[in-house]
Amino acid sequence: MPYTLTRAEDAVAADERYPLGERQRVEEDPMKQQVHRNVFTGKLEEVLNSAVNWGRKNSLWPYNFGLSCCYVEMTTAFTAPHDVARFGSEVIRASPRQADFMVIAGTCFIKMAPVIQQLYDQMLEPKWVISMGSCANSGGMYDIYSVVQGVDKFLPVDVYVPGCPPRPEAFLQGLQLLQDSIQEERRPLSWVVGDQGVYRAEMPSQREKHRDRRIQATELRTPDSI
Amino acid sequence: MSADTPTTDHTAAGITDDPVVAALKQRFGDHAILEQATLTGMPVLWIAREALTEALGFLRDMPEPFELLFDLSAIDERLRANRRGLPASDFTVFYHLMSISRNRDVMLKVALAESDLKLPSVVSRYPNANWYEREVWDMFGIDFAGHPHLTRILMPPTWNGHPLRKDHGARATEFDPYTLTVEGQDVEQKALQFKPEEWGMRRENADTEFMFLNLGPNHPSAHGAFRIVLQLDGEEIVDCVPDIGYHHRGAEKMGERQSWHSFIPYTDRIDYTGGVMNNFPYVLAVEKLAGIEVPDRVKTIRIMMAEMFRINSHLLFLGTYLQDLGAMTPVFFTFTDRQKAYEVIEAITGFRMHPAWFRIGGVAMDLPKGWDTLVKGFLDWMPKRLVEYERAMMENAIVRERTRHVAAFTTREALAWGVTGPNLRATGCDFDLRKKRPYGGYENFDFEVPLGSNGDVFDRGQLRIEEMRQSLRIIRQCVDNMPAGDYKADHPLTTPPPREKMLQHIETLITHFLQVSWGPVLKPNESFQMAEATKGINSYYLTSDGNTMSYRTRIRTPSFPHLQQIPAVMRGGFVPDLIAHLGSIDFVMADVDR
Repeated sequence: MPYTLTRAEDAVAADERYPLGERQRVEEDPMKQQVHRNVFTGKLEEVLNSAVNWGRKNSLWPYNFGLSCCYVEMTTAFTAPHDVARFGSEVIRASPRQADFMVIAGTCFIKMAPVIQQLYDQMLEPKWVISMGSCANSGGMYDIYSVVQGVDKFLPVDVYVPGCPPRPEAFLQGLQLLQDSIQEERRPLSWVVGDQGVYRAEMPSQREKHRDRRIQATELRTPDSI
Repeated sequence: MSADTPTTDHTAAGITDDPVVAALKQRFGDHAILEQATLTGMPVLWIAREALTEALGFLRDMPEPFELLFDLSAIDERLRANRRGLPASDFTVFYHLMSISRNRDVMLKVALAESDLKLPSVVSRYPNANWYEREVWDMFGIDFAGHPHLTRILMPPTWNGHPLRKDHGARATEFDPYTLTVEGQDVEQKALQFKPEEWGMRRENADTEFMFLNLGPNHPSAHGAFRIVLQLDGEEIVDCVPDIGYHHRGAEKMGERQSWHSFIPYTDRIDYTGGVMNNFPYVLAVEKLAGIEVPDRVKTIRIMMAEMFRINSHLLFLGTYLQDLGAMTPVFFTFTDRQKAYEVIEAITGFRMHPAWFRIGGVAMDLPKGWDTLVKGFLDWMPKRLVEYERAMMENAIVRERTRHVAAFTTREALAWGVTGPNLRATGCDFDLRKKRPYGGYENFDFEVPLGSNGDVFDRGQLRIEEMRQSLRIIRQCVDNMPAGDYKADHPLTTPPPREKMLQHIETLITHFLQVSWGPVLKPNESFQMAEATKGINSYYLTSDGNTMSYRTRIRTPSFPHLQQIPAVMRGGFVPDLIAHLGSIDFVMADVDR
């Protein structure tokens, strides 16, 4: 499985563009190199990695951050009928410093962008970003002077959830996709183990994965009855 | 396209009779006032800049006064083709006043030349003109002499240009792609820093050094991207400055580049908890321009869906209001009810939050088979839940202690600040548009207008529970008396046109094709419609220049003045009371910044 390697840097130039950090595509699973070095530690690291990732993905604390309409549907996913606690993400944090992931739920405005960047910077690693809804994904309906055409213009996004706004179920699916990708991640297990970078797995495209099944549908239900 | 003077008979007649016009003419002379015939349903009067302050003062202080400055904005007239009979003007500023006692409106317009964009500020007469004038400065670059703090309000302080001018770009893709550099981030953050001196605030007095607390733009109880800076003496709020514009989606500019039809989805997203409630005033205003009269079935369907969304929005309010007071559980209950409401809404419209389901001249589809069973199920479910909320929460001693006589204001203060809707009725003012100016068929329904008495946080909460009961009553009447008939008006401008005829002959096929691809063309005129939306009075003031798109779409939203009023209510209050007040206003930022 190919990976993307992101390294944190000590010195940042003033004209550096967000998202910060150098990205590098790595074809080989970094774990394999470890295995080559020492079969025993390789196995041990794999077990440890897998255990740590399992813990991380099942206790994702969301940051209580919302911009517009999508936030209402995100909150709906948090309440009783949809119950996000089933996925271990019910601990909503009001402070970015305590949160694991941030959902950009709504339109990203030019006036708001520096604030979003500030809040993202205040979150501690490991951290992830879900872009929820058309506005956050690409600007959506709002190709207009005051709107940033997609939050990925300055934030690294892990999962995109389509919809305007997406249903709560779609948000929950996005959360599960994030969990799947966290399971595959390779992060340093300590400051002395492994190289100090984040290896993010390139997850398969959902569109391609489901295309065959989706084009099977030739007749849609009539909206004339409930 | 062909009509050169925007005149219509039925409004022209009403205007000359208006005693207010006569009184103004008597005061300022016949020649000083020029009447414009429009479809707005109120007198639209052009007045010279020099006479503006006096005229507003006259209307403000007359017997049965125009106590509410409903709206204030401008139009860039430089590209408008059809304006025969109107005074020469590059930019027109309009003042929309409302009198509760007369139940009448009047609009004053002032023509300005591009070389001299200056007006006297009217903040001393109408305190809520403050933000409106700032918005006009921000969007059009018109200067208001004597304004206490004329700075940008919606756009970032670092912005160049005035977006609603016709020569300003509309699309983000017309500009360079957005990038954020480390240095740029620094500049923007510095520009957002609050400097008390700029607002005439002192950092200390003889006894104490004030603390300036920045609440927002992201704060759990700020209900979205809203920022308010507090000047604190201990726990007491000495003064505060709300800062908005973090949610400005340029909806008004968007109206100038979407066809009359394709703008409907954008209205859904103005008050995003209101769904089709937002379509209502827009579609009615367009139908006035087009001259469409809709069938009874359409009226009833529209009212039923609008009231469904009122309940849905009030449920969201109730949950978050109590959560802001510290009660964690209610939000889980009210969202369960919202889910029930969405099941009905989704079955009928096909979507949850933003169905964009109203059409010019009708609704998108007829009601599906079995709709009544679903709606009845909801009608049976809700009342006992409302009783439970009242008993568990509103009769709860802690909630009462926490909310009664907190952040209270009187009817007089509310009107001075432009407060409308449930927040106005909580002060005891009986003004509900559905009763006072029935629109879209509300005159056929039997319901009461709940009123408060103290205008405090408690009344604003309790009143909305009562309003939900009345909405249920209206929906019940819709179910029991749903008229048979078409779900679209048989009119050439109904969009999209009824499909059946199109299949019969080539002429209707061509018009159908043009209307669907380019959109309907509406005659040059101005129309206006207000509606009692979930949060207060929402209105659309449309200017057509005989095109497939609007020349100017002015959207007046209730939450904008509600937020402007916060400092007047909260001075001398405590921080937790501010949070309670924020919860009780019921606002969403899209309804403020648009």
